[in-house]
Amino acid sequence: MDTATARRLTTAQARSVWGMLALALVFLAGCGTKEVIVSGNFPPPLMEPLPVKLGVWYEPEFEGHEFFDEAKGRAESSWIVKTGEAQVAMWGQLLDNMFAGVTKMDGKPAPEQMNPVVDAVLIPRVDELQYAIPAHTNVKVYEIWMRYAFELVTTNGEPIAEWTMTAYGKTPTAFLQSDEAAVNLAAVVALRDAGAHFITSFHKVPEVAQWLEQLEQERGGVASR
Amino acid sequence: MGCVTSTVDEMVFNEPIEGIGDSTVVILGRRHASDYETEFDFIECIADHVVARDSSIEIIDEIEFINTLYPWFEPRTAPLRPADIDRLVQQEPVAQQLANLKLEYMIWVDGSTVQTNSAGSMTCGVGPGGAGCFGFGTWGNASDYEATIWDFTDKAEVGRLNASTSGQSYMPAVVVPIPIIAPVQGTACDGLGDQLLQFLSSEH
Repeated sequence: MDTATARRLTTAQARSVWGMLALALVFLAGCGTKEVIVSGNFPPPLMEPLPVKLGVWYEPEFEGHEFFDEAKGRAESSWIVKTGEAQVAMWGQLLDNMFAGVTKMDGKPAPEQMNPVVDAVLIPRVDELQYAIPAHTNVKVYEIWMRYAFELVTTNGEPIAEWTMTAYGKTPTAFLQSDEAAVNLAAVVALRDAGAHFITSFHKVPEVAQWLEQLEQERGGVASR
Repeated sequence: MGCVTSTVDEMVFNEPIEGIGDSTVVILGRRHASDYETEFDFIECIADHVVARDSSIEIIDEIEFINTLYPWFEPRTAPLRPADIDRLVQQEPVAQQLANLKLEYMIWVDGSTVQTNSAGSMTCGVGPGGAGCFGFGTWGNASDYEATIWDFTDKAEVGRLNASTSGQSYMPAVVVPIPIIAPVQGTACDGLGDQLLQFLSSEH
């Protein structure tokens, strides 16, 4: 075998190896774990603030909220969707503009806690998060669905109201976007939807409406004394 | 380029004879349906089409508008009827913001572009000697959009425009695939853009 033939074979073998490696990478791309740390810009709500001094307590599970879905088969990927940081950013921005005063509490409201003077404390939780990607649905749409649970309590931890609320976001324009970027965008849309739903439904929760009315009457009473 | 058939209908009232002056317009996509959403890039396309032909028309960027008025124009909260504007402007900060924007017309675009059919087959491969494809593929697209014009000052609907287009795209492949794309969405954008231009511009 002359040197030229040897070189050709070596080049052909190298191409073959690279080709197989590329195919293996394409095959393996479906495996492994995909991680999304949700981030986005959340605009402040345009509204007249409610005349309420609100405390807010984020439980550690809420501040570090993440969703893990293990791959069901070799062709699928596991997913970790970390929403905690974005949740705190979005809710912080929203509540700061929705209420006359907002204080982030250092501890969970309880009789022995030394809390600043606020009218009530809101405790948000993410009860459930579901997502759908094209691998699940065969449709090029990425979706995030969340169910929130809220508790409104006194500074002593006594319940005022409890209610749940859903939020939904989807990314229809996933063309030329990675799975991770599309899931992030869907999560940001879902968080925006959560904010919109909270603003429009807060005063419609019967116990909250009653509490707001009571608060107004108490303040009216103080003013008239 | 593939062939496209297009139909444009219009029904407008109270067209501004002198154009819109120093007032502004916003074009927004409807996104409250569960099975489709009006594409952001389609809205941008219509706005670009209008402004490119009459630069005196000021169109507020859709995303900027939605963010500035958050959360009142989210899919869940956006007004569905002109009468809903009354509910919105009862809130002082919202009324103030809209006044600052000098908004005269709000144009809602509802619809989407979908793939209607596909046929053919194509085989692509990677070998030691290189990569290549062989085969033939064809698919159809259909666009159906309706634009509803609200006169923001009078809080009334003053027009409806509709553009329906369809076309077939082809992709023959002998080693290299050569797409022959029918510009279905682009034609719908031009159709609606032209109709809006006639409504908003004093020069058309």
